[in-house]
Amino acid sequence: MKGITVKYVCKRFFSALFTLWVALTFNFLLPRMMGGDPAEFLASQTALGSAEYAQQVREQFGLDKSVFEQYIRYLGGLVRGDLGVSYTNFPIPVTEIITQAIPWTLLVVLVSTLLSFLIAWIIGTLAALKKGSWFDNLAVGTSFYIQSIPYFWVGMLLVMGLGYHLGWFPMGHAMTPGAELSSFWAKAGNIAYHACLPVLSLVIVSLAGRMIMMRSNILQVFSEDYIVLAQAKGLRRGKILTKYALRNALLPSFTGLMLSLGQAVGGAIATEIIFSYPGIGLTIMNAILSHDYPLVQGCFAIIALSVVAINFLADLIYPLIDPRVSLD
Amino acid sequence: MKKETAARQKSDGYLMLEKYLLKNTRAKAGLLILLFFALVAIFAPLIAPYEPKDISFMPWEKPSLAHPLGVNSYGQDIFSQVVYGTQVTMAVGVMAGLLTSFIGIFVGLLAGYKGGRTGEVLMRIVDVFLVVPTLAFMIVLAAFLPSMGIWNLIIIIGGLNWLWMARSIRSQTLSEARREYVDAAKVQGMGTLEIMFREILPNIIPVVTANMVMVITSAMLTEATLSFLGLGDPSLISWGQMLSVSFDNNAILYNAWWWMLPPGLCIATLGFSFMLIGNSFLDIYANDRGGAVKL
Repeated sequence: MKGITVKYVCKRFFSALFTLWVALTFNFLLPRMMGGDPAEFLASQTALGSAEYAQQVREQFGLDKSVFEQYIRYLGGLVRGDLGVSYTNFPIPVTEIITQAIPWTLLVVLVSTLLSFLIAWIIGTLAALKKGSWFDNLAVGTSFYIQSIPYFWVGMLLVMGLGYHLGWFPMGHAMTPGAELSSFWAKAGNIAYHACLPVLSLVIVSLAGRMIMMRSNILQVFSEDYIVLAQAKGLRRGKILTKYALRNALLPSFTGLMLSLGQAVGGAIATEIIFSYPGIGLTIMNAILSHDYPLVQGCFAIIALSVVAINFLADLIYPLIDPRVSLD
Repeated sequence: MKKETAARQKSDGYLMLEKYLLKNTRAKAGLLILLFFALVAIFAPLIAPYEPKDISFMPWEKPSLAHPLGVNSYGQDIFSQVVYGTQVTMAVGVMAGLLTSFIGIFVGLLAGYKGGRTGEVLMRIVDVFLVVPTLAFMIVLAAFLPSMGIWNLIIIIGGLNWLWMARSIRSQTLSEARREYVDAAKVQGMGTLEIMFREILPNIIPVVTANMVMVITSAMLTEATLSFLGLGDPSLISWGQMLSVSFDNNAILYNAWWWMLPPGLCIATLGFSFMLIGNSFLDIYANDRGGAVKL
């Protein structure tokens, strides 16, 4: 194993930085390309279209400067961790709103992604081992169907069935509103209880595609020469699976795991709406509804940052666990 | 001589048709479902018993003979809405999917065949954008657009979805470009574009089709999600839009399963049909070329 070289890390790091820069520049340009004056819009919303107020807003948010100057200010602010001030929650900085929302999204996304991968690995392996059996056919057929179901629809059905109709789970929010939860465990229990349905709805849909992928990975590995050799040597099936096949089949899905963690943040937006779950998705949608552009941009900047960071980490970890990956 | 090759080609085409469609139960089942929805979309005015936006019925009425799928909170017939929704959902899915495929095929073929500097640069660009979370980006884009008509929807969904497809087509093209028929075409003096589209493309059609149906499914799902989030065109009736309206009007609290179930089931069933076609094509193609082909 060659291990990671400094050159490789640097290359990956600058590539990640470049991606981030592209995303953030789009983020800056978008509202400015769409035309319309946010200051005037804000004035029309809050101060009956007063030109004076619009001017004040323009100065306050630096909108009277040239676009280039605004861009430099925007990038400078980002480096300092300053995402500007929210329009609707006026004096509160965007970072503060986002910091409150991020843990909820992370909780739901992390737990659901890990759970879904774990279950997908198990079902996918079983289906591959029993290829052609009724179990395999059922699992693959169901997965094809579930794969094309919208996440949010499953969420709606779960809220209606398990939440409203049967009353087993709360219908929304991350914690019981106004509840007095003294001990840490009571609080954790309450949070876990509220996270059940959102997590379940994300797991159900994402499970399908991952299961199919894991199944085909296992089948692919089983067709490789070293497995055939192991079989010819008379090694037991279970031993072949655990010693050789599983490890090599799991590797490709590791990248999948890291990548989907990033995309899952975007995918969870609709789910958060269904469950009024106070994460970054609900924040960004509320910001869009109230035309709070700094908050919209801030949310997207954070989502982009986390996705790029996760990908960078995956790039670093992957060659460590799979020496076959080329380092260029 | 020329006649003979023409006949050969015809039989080649027929062989391909036979292998991929006539002897392929999964693809036939998928096509049947697809055909069903296409017919519903085309003959929507004949099938729907009422005007989809007509508000002349009892709100929240349960399914009955007069209203097979009941009535929504505005007093509109849900069955008629599902029927008309087929038009919009399919149109957006297919148009956006075609746009995606067009860009994806072109970039993938070019990057795979040209290789060298062009291919390298193209793939770098693809890699950079692949990391950007697509759905979140679409949401922000939709939020900043002054209005969201059906064409904006198609362009946003179609124009931002081609990265995976370009990658997949490229990797397939890379292995095709090493085959003899490409060299033969070069010797004959064919141009780059000609080789790309007339020689390589027909040989990777199964992969292209598989990609295409996946892309259409994902476009349909994206339309549903954007519409659900209130970022679609509210004047259109699509399945996603129906779900959005039902959620906003507390269909859950009214226990109006007849409003929420049909659009979701339709999306899933239509997507399922595309999946059946795409996956069976990939399996057959992979069998032919020996080894798995991944999208």
